[in-house]
Amino acid sequence: MIYLLLFAGLFMGWSLGTNDAANAFGTAVATRVVKYRTAVIIIAIFVLAGAFIGGAGNIDKVAELSTSNMVLASTEEVFGAIENGTVDTLRLKSAIKAAIIFACAGLTVFVMSYLKFPVSANQSITGAIIGWGLCYADYTDPAVLSVNLPQIGKFASTWVINPVGAGIISFILVFFANKFITNHLTSLGSYDRIIKIGYLVAGAFASYSIGTNSSANVTALYYDAAYAETGVAANLLTDARITATIGGIAIAIGVLTFSKRVMMTVGSSIADITQMDGFLVIIAMALTVVIMGKWMGIPVSTSQAVVGAVMGAGLTKGIKAVRFGVMKNIAIAWVSSPTVAGVLAYAIAFLTRGYFG
Amino acid sequence: MFSNKNQKVHELIMEQFANVKSVLFTFEDFLRVACSEESDMDVLRELSNKIFEQEAEADRSLRRMIDSLGNAAYLPSTREELISIGTKCDRIANKCETVCRMVVLQQFRFPSEYHADLQEILTITHKQFKTLENSISAVFSRFNEMLKDHSILHDIRVLESAVDAIEHKLLEDTYNRDMGLAEKQQLAKFVSLVCDISDIIEDVSDTILIMLVTRKA
Repeated sequence: MIYLLLFAGLFMGWSLGTNDAANAFGTAVATRVVKYRTAVIIIAIFVLAGAFIGGAGNIDKVAELSTSNMVLASTEEVFGAIENGTVDTLRLKSAIKAAIIFACAGLTVFVMSYLKFPVSANQSITGAIIGWGLCYADYTDPAVLSVNLPQIGKFASTWVINPVGAGIISFILVFFANKFITNHLTSLGSYDRIIKIGYLVAGAFASYSIGTNSSANVTALYYDAAYAETGVAANLLTDARITATIGGIAIAIGVLTFSKRVMMTVGSSIADITQMDGFLVIIAMALTVVIMGKWMGIPVSTSQAVVGAVMGAGLTKGIKAVRFGVMKNIAIAWVSSPTVAGVLAYAIAFLTRGYFG
Repeated sequence: MFSNKNQKVHELIMEQFANVKSVLFTFEDFLRVACSEESDMDVLRELSNKIFEQEAEADRSLRRMIDSLGNAAYLPSTREELISIGTKCDRIANKCETVCRMVVLQQFRFPSEYHADLQEILTITHKQFKTLENSISAVFSRFNEMLKDHSILHDIRVLESAVDAIEHKLLEDTYNRDMGLAEKQQLAKFVSLVCDISDIIEDVSDTILIMLVTRKA
């Protein structure tokens, strides 16, 4: 029965799949460069590959963030539970807390989408984790402060570093591609071939990056990071790779079942950049997500990276080519998604102190 | 493998264009005869029949070109653009055929005051068509150069404006002539039909322009 709680994370993964697929292949599918069927198969395969190969690293990082924010049990708590014979209770509580975090993030995504605000699912989950921590972690304790404050600072800094980084990478890619590729294609056929191959490679790479980045967000809260030391399962999942792969499967199912509409919408909305720029933007997004994951140690928003990359591509045509007015809505999403999810998680944590405290 | 198939499409597009060119050149002969002092209806009928056959061949080559696209490695949007260019070129041949058929069926004769202007329209249209031929060829063989500089397409537009100006003048003259309204409308219709060819050439050049602008870095 306890495993039913896993469905909250899997549902989050499913919804991430329906949305994030658009970041990988939206433009290609909307402009019919790649068939929808081909796109979803590539996404599903590469998301799974990304989760299996690179997801485990991010699982550990999300688990670390969750442990310092009292969502996951620390090694000491697990040892304490073993001594008291309350491991099963701890396990149940951990799984319920994970489900609550996902419920907060999911509700945020649903309500904000309903109100037509742009929203980031990845950011909502991290926001909810931090919100929970703000209620439970003892911020008067210097030890807690020294761990949690840098985590929060790191998280907030991705709002700037992630899109700016994607913008810089995209600017460089587009600038050099225009200089050394587009201007040297002597026939229409070679132009089309570059576009087609470019979108397939970019889409596969982006799917891989989504697999490594987002799978952690979907299932890391069910992962028992202390298992290696304690040898007793204090949460639903104990193997980082399997945990990430389960997240990848949930995302892949989202891609395969319900991604078409979002893919068409996102693809059309950024179609004002050229086809050549389009796949370079996706490569820039994927590169940024992978680099950020390794460097910052937390999963980042793929949507933020896409927006930054589109702006970077636009800048190669001059400052006037960038619609900075659009930034207002996007900035709202960057700040509001984690904030709303965080406030919700804080409120629930506060109301359930009697049970979890 | 794909590059051979793309090459085939290129060849078939140029083949269709050559067939349309044959129609246009015969049409020019037709109009020259129609605008001569002793226009012979039998010669016109003969030229009209020739155009009919050439137009049918242009149609067939268009179909071959469209069929070949199914095997080529072009993107769907490019295929649509190439089909659009092909069908618009085909409209040039159709328009020539229509004018000839109507002249022969109605045994129509252009007033002698119109001959010089019609010859001028033919000369400009011919220039336009040659420019279009060069630009289509460049899209397939010097694509990067066309992306950077497509002023050649602007030349087509300038030539079309020149035809427009002559058409306007001829239509004004037509409605100021001392003849019945039905005759005026018949004459105006023929003038417009001849000038439509220039419009269609401009349409094709616009399609090429869109093709380039949407791919321009």
